[in-house]
Amino acid sequence: MEHRLPEIKAGGWICRKCRKPLESRAVEITYMGSSFKVELPGCPECGFTFIPPELAEGKMLEVEKLLEDK
Amino acid sequence: MDQETLREFESRCTQEEPPACQSFCPLHVEARTLAGQVAAGKVNEARKTLERHMPIPPLGGWLCEGPCKEHCLRKDLDQALDLPLLERFCLRAGRTLPPLALPATPHRAALVGSGLSSLAAAWELTRKGHRICLFHPGPPGASLRALPPELLPPEATDEALKQLAALKLSFEEIPKVSPLWLERLCLDFQAVFVGLDDPALSAESLGLRPEDLLLNDITRESPRKNLFLALPQPPSKRPFIEALSAGKKAAASVDRVLNGVAPGTAREKEAAGPTRLRAFPETERPKPPSRPADPLRPSPEEAGEEARRCLNCNCLECLKKCVYLRHYRAYPKKYAREIYNNISTVFGIRKANSMINSCAECGLCREICPSGADMGSFCAQARLEMVADRHMPVSAHEFALEDMLFSNSPEISFLRFQPGLEKIRWLFFPGCQLPASMPEAAGAVYAHLCSGLDGGVGLFFSCCGAPARWSGRPALTGRVAAGIREAWEKAGRPRMILACASCRLFFRAELPEIETVTLWSILKDLPCPSEKAEPERLALHDPCASRHDRATLESVRAILNRLGQATEEPPLSGRLTRCCGYGGLADQANPALGLLYARQRAEDTGQPLLAYCIMCRDRLRAAGLPGLHLLDLLFPASTFEAALERPSPGLSERREKRLLFRRGLLRKLWGESPPKEENMPEPPLEIAEELLPRLEDSRILRSDLAAVIRHAALHGPLFAQPEKGIFLAALRPRQVTFWVEYEERPDGSYFIRNAWRHRMLVPGVPGEGAESPATLEGFAAEGGRV
Ligand code: SF4
Ligand code: SF4
Ligand code: SF4
Ligand SMILES: [Zn+2]
Repeated sequence: MEHRLPEIKAGGWICRKCRKPLESRAVEITYMGSSFKVELPGCPECGFTFIPPELAEGKMLEVEKLLEDK
Repeated sequence: MDQETLREFESRCTQEEPPACQSFCPLHVEARTLAGQVAAGKVNEARKTLERHMPIPPLGGWLCEGPCKEHCLRKDLDQALDLPLLERFCLRAGRTLPPLALPATPHRAALVGSGLSSLAAAWELTRKGHRICLFHPGPPGASLRALPPELLPPEATDEALKQLAALKLSFEEIPKVSPLWLERLCLDFQAVFVGLDDPALSAESLGLRPEDLLLNDITRESPRKNLFLALPQPPSKRPFIEALSAGKKAAASVDRVLNGVAPGTAREKEAAGPTRLRAFPETERPKPPSRPADPLRPSPEEAGEEARRCLNCNCLECLKKCVYLRHYRAYPKKYAREIYNNISTVFGIRKANSMINSCAECGLCREICPSGADMGSFCAQARLEMVADRHMPVSAHEFALEDMLFSNSPEISFLRFQPGLEKIRWLFFPGCQLPASMPEAAGAVYAHLCSGLDGGVGLFFSCCGAPARWSGRPALTGRVAAGIREAWEKAGRPRMILACASCRLFFRAELPEIETVTLWSILKDLPCPSEKAEPERLALHDPCASRHDRATLESVRAILNRLGQATEEPPLSGRLTRCCGYGGLADQANPALGLLYARQRAEDTGQPLLAYCIMCRDRLRAAGLPGLHLLDLLFPASTFEAALERPSPGLSERREKRLLFRRGLLRKLWGESPPKEENMPEPPLEIAEELLPRLEDSRILRSDLAAVIRHAALHGPLFAQPEKGIFLAALRPRQVTFWVEYEERPDGSYFIRNAWRHRMLVPGVPGEGAESPATLEGFAAEGGRV
């Protein structure tokens, strides 16, 4: 499934544990049995992913609703 | 859902039935549409509308006598709409394309006579592509040309004949007809039509006996094989529209014969007669009928003026009263089909999910609809089926269900006998929302009941389970109801006193063995706790769940009477009251529409409100209307003005108030102090002021924030901006991920700067809750496709 997300900026956050600045990389996110790869910022070392509020309440919410109605 | 359920509903909603003008028109011309188009100046479209049903329009439009006028609803107001005038206008002013025929067929049929009926039949049949021969004694259309020009201008006949020639009608002049000639014709052609309205013909000259003229009303079939007829009509019987209709109907029969189908197949709808549409046109001030200078040639202004007199007859009664039904821009019959399709969808997007969940299931439409169409129960059934099929996303109702589980958890719910008693006859059940908004009043009511009623009054604090039922989850509903039943049985089967109308509906449906009364029917017979009526007149709002509860409606009015409180009934009240938007979890599934429900109700009253359901009171308050709960009058805890303006508590505040209600009463009346685990320390949080409304909208509770912070305090947050001293933590305690951005204060407290949530699963967020609903065995293991 193809869901394009706008490019996400890490906004000055660093990984608290690894002390590394966040980098954009492909991660797999899942919902309602569908999963897809998107570019999201996260820690290059431990892999924690960052979801900013605009994304959670914007595009992500839209896609959630779409998948819920499928 | 089976087809039958859909059909049953569809047959109730009569909005798609034709208005009277159309149903009584023998040709079923869509007069309402036509008038609307003329009124809007769309005269070419109006002409198209006319031509859809009117055979041989250049003649029909001039000659129709307008039998619709006897049935037009406007006639009761002043005078019927003059549709013939509008039709003549369309013919004169509207452009039209030359008529088109379907691809040619090999079938042949004969028409006899060139009166109006034969030309109408010719128009219908040639356009179907059949090869039609019209036999006429004398010049074609002679009888029409003989009409006075102010009734039918000669150009109209020319135009009609030209159109028929273009449609490849072959005209055959015959010098003389005879019985034998007709017999031969009937052998040569698959079907024959004779238009006896042509004065050049007569039954005798064709050898037609009286018994041959006994026609089937709709098919115009004669007992003689393959023969169809139109009979001449006297002036009193509107000969022209009769001829048009006879020609059109006979042509439909001939077409069926040519296609090898019995002429009578599927013809029920062709008869002219009363409609099932119940139209309630807005009564407007009578507008005088347009009196054109030349009634045969009305000007566009004159025609427009007449067209605007049409009342645009529709039902749509329910839409006038329900904001939900207006919101989706159609009407129940259409909605029912959309919902049915939504349920039957196997692959693809289910577009109606939100619509199904946004109905308040308040039952007003059923009261309003002349045939009792009940959109509420239709939506309720759709929810049940979609949840059972695991096609209804849980997200719409998840918060409400979690809130129900919270209210029913041992942390909140309790049942106690009246202090000092071992038996009770009564059990007060305030519901989950009254103590969440007015805990002091709920406590005061309990004390009042204890002092006023004999036999002991217990207190049972819990949620009835209405959210489970509204969300379409019978197993979950059953579990909650079973819990209540068990507690009630243990308490010795006392009579239950319910403060909430929705609880009462729930008990009646799910726990019929429990005898219940509403708080109001009890309070009406107890000494009045307050002496003081307020000087201001209040608008009394009945909850939708009480619309059929006569005893409650009357009790409330009796209480107000005794108190001497002046009230006013809003336009819709009692049996016809409107929902505030809480019903059916409408506002949970669709907060924006939920607000419109409340606003609509607020607009009904326009003055301070008096409600006796706490959700009604709080929701209308949140929609901007100052208002009281009846308990504010009976057990005043503040000034009148302060009570009117008291804000509706937020979601977190409701939970905190429930806790306070429980702890306060348990300590005060039963001397119990909370056990240790209830005192689990919350991390000290301070929430940025501007964040509060957003938390409400996203349904993020203070306790959710606390859980994230507690987790971060133990395991460390995920991200940081060290130079600013801010942290970002995330946790997925159930199928929602919460993010919290915060600062740590030197005194060990936390300042919450921002918080947000999403449901998608993203790698690396701590929390096991992961992908299952919040409990009660995963919302009773049904619903909530994950
Ligand atoms: S009231 Fe509503 S549901 Fe009933 S017939 Fe009219 S449009 Fe249909
Ligand atoms: S008012 Fe208009 S819609 Fe109603 S019956 Fe008359 S012509 Fe038809
Ligand atoms: S909200 Fe009430 S009136 Fe409107 S459709 Fe639903 S049940 Fe009917
Ligand atoms: Zn890291």
